[in-house]
Amino acid sequence: MKTYFFLGKGGVGKTTIAASFGVGTSLDNGNVLVVSLDPAHNLGDAFNSTLSNKIKKISDNLSAVEVDIEKMIKEYLNELAYKMKNTYRYLTTFNLDRYFDILRHSPGIEEYAVLEAIKRFIKLKEFDTIVFDTPPTGITIRVFAMPKLSLLWTDRLIKMRKRILDRRKMVENVKGRFEAKIEGETVVLTSDEKEDDVMQELVRYRAEMEELRNFFSSDNTTVNVVTMPEELALFETKRISESLSEFKIKLRTIFLNKVIQCKKPPEGIKGKIKEQEEVLKKMREEFRGIQIKEIPLLEHSPRGIEELKELYNNYLI
Amino acid sequence: MKKLSDLLRKFFGGIDEGLKEASVSLIEKELEETENVFALLTMGFLSGIPSPPTGLVLRLLPYMQREIYVMMLRSKNLDDVFAETAGTFDID
Repeated sequence: MKTYFFLGKGGVGKTTIAASFGVGTSLDNGNVLVVSLDPAHNLGDAFNSTLSNKIKKISDNLSAVEVDIEKMIKEYLNELAYKMKNTYRYLTTFNLDRYFDILRHSPGIEEYAVLEAIKRFIKLKEFDTIVFDTPPTGITIRVFAMPKLSLLWTDRLIKMRKRILDRRKMVENVKGRFEAKIEGETVVLTSDEKEDDVMQELVRYRAEMEELRNFFSSDNTTVNVVTMPEELALFETKRISESLSEFKIKLRTIFLNKVIQCKKPPEGIKGKIKEQEEVLKKMREEFRGIQIKEIPLLEHSPRGIEELKELYNNYLI
Repeated sequence: MKKLSDLLRKFFGGIDEGLKEASVSLIEKELEETENVFALLTMGFLSGIPSPPTGLVLRLLPYMQREIYVMMLRSKNLDDVFAETAGTFDID
């Protein structure tokens, strides 16, 4: 399976380019799914179709979905609360609801949900290609960073957990089964790694993160940036490229959107065209080895399968 | 006679228990300390300590009741750290 990510700041035409790329790829590369992970969805608008949280078939080889990140977070926390009510039966003083209110708004939860969504889609076997229209750059970069960061944390925590279990074993050898009193109830604690739930969860989580890290940096995953020929956009693209290389993710193509192509430009936009030329020149120097594709500022934004196909054939291929 | 043997058994049993207790009490303290640090590291956002990725915290949360309990207990006893340390090392 091939996976394509389209990154960029809001308003550069990320969704249109991702949708058009999906349409084009579906013509000759098997079954394609376009996923919008952006909380401000407009993938449906690009396809001229109403999309939802459920995968919808748009044409023969093309399906699309708009992921509801908020709903995912809510469902996940509800599931977790249910699980905790069963396991935390001794901790009556532990005010679950209060903690879940904190968790719902805790930093990083959105990135975690986006990562979970990506994980879910790349497991689907029925698609040959998945195209992701991503949330604003900041969040996406943190999503890409998560596997590496999580691996650092889990490795340290696994080491520490081993120390805890070793100490428990020592006490167990002398005093027999390790029992602890929690709120007056006696709980038997294990010193065996295979029986320790925390250790097992750490090991499972580590394996998942390792898989994702390898997935993000594999040859089957292509990360592209959509941007505009403006100085600020150039700086942002540079930052994206640097962050990506930190996580060993390669930037493949820069789609330079909304390039003004005008033979006789009116006086008012001459300055803009000059800026554009300078940015283009700098970009070619800065990003040697990375494909740069120019897409002109079109008369109107492409909508619907036919127009997106035309955009793909004219500029993206 | 039976009474005496019972008494002796109890006496030596008590000594045995005491020795066992003395031999592992430091390890037990260290264990509790490590568990506390583990909880502070992973669930520390509850007391303002920087957290590992939220995803990881959430995944461990259902299984951390013992550690959270130790952490809560330790926070409750923070005003008496000196007495606790003195007790651990048998300082009167």
